[in-house]
Amino acid sequence: MNHSSNSRQRVLDRIRAAAPDSPARERDYAALERPYTRTGSLTAEARVALMTERLREYDAGVTECASGELPAAIAAALAASGRKTFVAPAGLPSAWLAPGFEWKIDRDLSADQIEGVDGVVTACFCGIADSGTIVLHHAAAEGRRLVSLLPDWHLCILRTSQIVETLPEYFARCTQPPALVTWISGPSATADIEMTRIKGVHGPRFLQVIVVRD
Amino acid sequence: MSTSGYHPDLDPASAPPFPKAALPVLNNMQLRKNVAHAVDVIQAKRGRLVAEKTDWQQLRAAGAAIRDHALENLSFYLQQFEERCTAAGGVVHWAADAAEARRIILDLLRQEQADEVIKIKTMTSAEIQLNPYLESAGVKVFETDLAEIILQLGKDEPSHIVVPALHVNRGQVREIFARSMNRPDLSDDPQALTAAARSYLRQKFLTVPTAISGANFLIAETGGVAIVESEGNGRMCLTLPRALITVAGIEKVLPRFQDLEVMLQVLARSATGERMNPYTSLWTGVTPGDGPQRFHVVLLDNGRSSILKRETERQTLRCIRCAACMNSCPVYRQTGGHAYGSVYPGPIGAILTPQLTELHHAQSLPYASSLCGACYEVCPVKINIPEILIDLRAQVTDQERRQTRRWFDPMYLGMRAANFVFASAGRFHAAQRLGRIGMRLFTGKDGWIHSLPGMGAKWTQSRDLRGLPQQTFHEWWAARDKAAGKEAQ
Repeated sequence: MNHSSNSRQRVLDRIRAAAPDSPARERDYAALERPYTRTGSLTAEARVALMTERLREYDAGVTECASGELPAAIAAALAASGRKTFVAPAGLPSAWLAPGFEWKIDRDLSADQIEGVDGVVTACFCGIADSGTIVLHHAAAEGRRLVSLLPDWHLCILRTSQIVETLPEYFARCTQPPALVTWISGPSATADIEMTRIKGVHGPRFLQVIVVRD
Repeated sequence: MSTSGYHPDLDPASAPPFPKAALPVLNNMQLRKNVAHAVDVIQAKRGRLVAEKTDWQQLRAAGAAIRDHALENLSFYLQQFEERCTAAGGVVHWAADAAEARRIILDLLRQEQADEVIKIKTMTSAEIQLNPYLESAGVKVFETDLAEIILQLGKDEPSHIVVPALHVNRGQVREIFARSMNRPDLSDDPQALTAAARSYLRQKFLTVPTAISGANFLIAETGGVAIVESEGNGRMCLTLPRALITVAGIEKVLPRFQDLEVMLQVLARSATGERMNPYTSLWTGVTPGDGPQRFHVVLLDNGRSSILKRETERQTLRCIRCAACMNSCPVYRQTGGHAYGSVYPGPIGAILTPQLTELHHAQSLPYASSLCGACYEVCPVKINIPEILIDLRAQVTDQERRQTRRWFDPMYLGMRAANFVFASAGRFHAAQRLGRIGMRLFTGKDGWIHSLPGMGAKWTQSRDLRGLPQQTFHEWWAARDKAAGKEAQ
């Protein structure tokens, strides 16, 4: 792509002429002031309560269970959804695959195969209480991006140890910057028509969360 | 005819000046109502959520500092982004201007043998007028953001950068959808209209193998790209197709992944009045087995590098496109977005558009403001828009001064005359005396001037003017001194 490589030089030259590269760049970056709230102040219990409250404000459903009760809680949530077929990421613990439902394990399922499924169950990387956000890094138990997108119903398993209070606390937990991230704050929504919030445009219309005490 | 009832021209090169372009909207009560309703709703929600954030001012300061740092070291961070994105399997292209960006994108689509493409809302693609170009080259473009569908099917233009169809109401959306989706039975309930859009697009998402997106942020440290959205149409376009082309302004770069901890806290709160938007996606090059396996980024200059030159104006490029400035602007609230003759309306448009055209066009925009400062107050990255507006006004005036036609400009001649008069105290006092005598002709018995002839009529058309007093302050002061001196004697 010849014209583009010429333009590369042209654009970079124009930028350098206007803003020359500074030898103090790294020092300048390190010196950037970040006086905003980095760490939260809530007790563990209040943090979980805030996460739950914020999720509910987004119309997400939330239930809580002890660690040992998780398989039963998953089965109960699936049953309550009234849905029958579910997709599971390849790395989802087998104990979570509640019997009595039809499971499709995502080993390179096609979009069409996932599209026909009623719901999906995934783990997550983190929950951010301040904004009621669930973060997926798309590891094996969190699934490819597709599997938590096409089904209309998403059940996400969130452990209390994964819940942080503030967004900066989430970033502090990322020892390495992840390559893929999806931050989910409630079900898909739009307010494009007269600013009326409508739930469920293209992503899952229903988000259900099980908070696991650990 | 578009939904607006007129044909908005959003090309700064041909759009009429702001006062003229504002007229069709000012005369359209329905449109004004739609715009006012939308901005009032967002403003109220934003206000509530900003108020609960006790560290809001600290976040703004950090946001401004991070963006400034990125801009001061832009060539380094862009090259770092290029290197890391390439290492992760992406291909980076550079476009000096709109025409080149369009050409690169069309070439890429030809390589993909794409005759259809799905799109995530991107103002950058609107800036380079991508859709009409692709359509004329035989590529069918499907917008997937609900507002963009409304505009595309209604043959209308965006009037806002976050909710581009805020000037269209539910009845109008119903008409557009009923006609173009062949659904005469459709109701005007937003729920039903949204469902109609969902089913209209579902098949497109699953079958069209090529997508075009913009970018909210480019991460230099990792080569990652982030997109902030609500509906999930973005996630669809970023996940389902085989190939993805992202077009991004060169200013969109952030030094590190962690910098998002500031941007994501201020963006949704400012843009839609939410603690966090429903979906934010970040991806890095190509991930085997997950999402598009061919990924291109087109880095667009198109006038941006020229904005870097002046320190005051450089702030413009901090913008993270939240639209809080237009939602808070008393001028935008009355005129809506089309009057700004650009895809970037409101206060940010008033400073960005003239600068992107290097002041060849849009010279009326720096005046499309009352300088009330509401835009500066709400800006999450503290862009001092009024300061830049004033600076641009000075540049526009300098430009006019260099033009010979100034000798036919009554404003210019008036200012020259004023300059001559104000330059000497004697001339000034003489002018005051003359003015007083002259104005007496127009002053009513009540001491007010109700109508003036000529150019002055424009002023008195809508307001009265206090008649000049019999004595100026200077005269009164001198007389007082004289009287005091007499008494002392």
